[in-house]
Amino acid sequence: MQDDKGPRGYHDVGGDAAGTIPIVDLPWLHWEKQVEAIRGLLGDGTRRIVSLDEVRRGFESFGVEKYNSLSFYRRRLEAMTDILIEKGVVSHAELDQAIAQGKAKWAEFDPKA
Amino acid sequence: MKRFSDGDCVKVLALGKEGHVRIPHYVRNQIGHIAGYCGTYLNPEDLAVGNTSGQAVDLYRVAFEQRQLWPNQPIPKHDMLVIEIYDHWLAPAQETSDAP
Amino acid sequence: MPHDHHHGEHEAIITEDEAGNIEAQIIVDALQDVLIAKGLLTALEVTGAIAKLESPGIHLGAKVIAKAWTDPAYHARLLADGRAAIQELDISVTEASIIVVENTPQVHNLVTCTLCSCYPRSILGQPPSWYISKAYRARSVREPRKVLAEFGLDLPEDTQLIVHDSNADMRYLVLPEAPADLQTRSIADLEALISRDHLIGVTRAVT
Repeated sequence: MQDDKGPRGYHDVGGDAAGTIPIVDLPWLHWEKQVEAIRGLLGDGTRRIVSLDEVRRGFESFGVEKYNSLSFYRRRLEAMTDILIEKGVVSHAELDQAIAQGKAKWAEFDPKA
Repeated sequence: MKRFSDGDCVKVLALGKEGHVRIPHYVRNQIGHIAGYCGTYLNPEDLAVGNTSGQAVDLYRVAFEQRQLWPNQPIPKHDMLVIEIYDHWLAPAQETSDAP
Repeated sequence: MPHDHHHGEHEAIITEDEAGNIEAQIIVDALQDVLIAKGLLTALEVTGAIAKLESPGIHLGAKVIAKAWTDPAYHARLLADGRAAIQELDISVTEASIIVVENTPQVHNLVTCTLCSCYPRSILGQPPSWYISKAYRARSVREPRKVLAEFGLDLPEDTQLIVHDSNADMRYLVLPEAPADLQTRSIADLEALISRDHLIGVTRAVT
């Protein structure tokens, strides 16, 4: 007799076997804070543009490879941009253009570029 | 009128829902007891798709014996797991007899 | 490109390397610029929000715990309605509800979020990397006593262990047992004894 517990997301890891706990405390970087700050502002009472629930749906649905290969805050950033594009708040093209401009600016200042 | 009171025996349903749910796999189909009432909250299953006008749902804390969740493990019988379950994922249940 | 932060048989925590961090900074800056151009937020709001994110920390949790230890009426209010009691101390709480779970000689509490990383951030700040790791999230509900042992806590078998999976709208703080020499200590001394590990529940004794 097999219990069917229904669909299971790749994020739903409670009870899985796993290795020893990596007891480290990594620093919280500026871009990571910025991700959380923007998400919080976009979800606040005056805007309600994207909620934490939508961001969660975002990283729960962008695929197991992406989920397993991105850092926690990068997952949040990717999920947030996915949802903003899905909802038509920003377009891929606008974001790509802004990213390209950003990369060009970094290249100006990067002695290794 | 909330359906459950503290101490009620309940089962967590396996609703088979796709998409964003907040009920982990490991508690589905498990039987536990109501350990507290949290109030009413908007359903994350609605919020995840941008629906903020859904019905608010009763949220309960449900306690499980850890040894029931993970059979055949040497777990002390008093160790518990408590988790929050939304009303629509719960059904009344019968007490199960203790495994020997 | 991400790389593994990996030691022996540790389950890896994925972190960004330098190039990955630069790329992420570029992307979030680009996103911010687009959102500002659309009038959806301002740069000032973002810096203000970052400052707000940086201000909570363990010192706030320690303040709550030390007060609960030294003021029995506050202790009772904290257990009855954690959010309201914490706000009494001029600590702003954005989570819907805070449940404070009390350790006793017979009971030990451990907090986790198996689905993501839910944590009382508006009080304590960001959770530690290990709390977000797959290994902690997976094993904290399945073999919590082994997990505690990895943190150096060997819980006696006759101490009841209650694990709280904060999967929905509640957030949790552990109220550790007060030290034996409580009466001889100042509030400031007591606050200094309380660590984040106490508040999550991966350590027990306060000495």
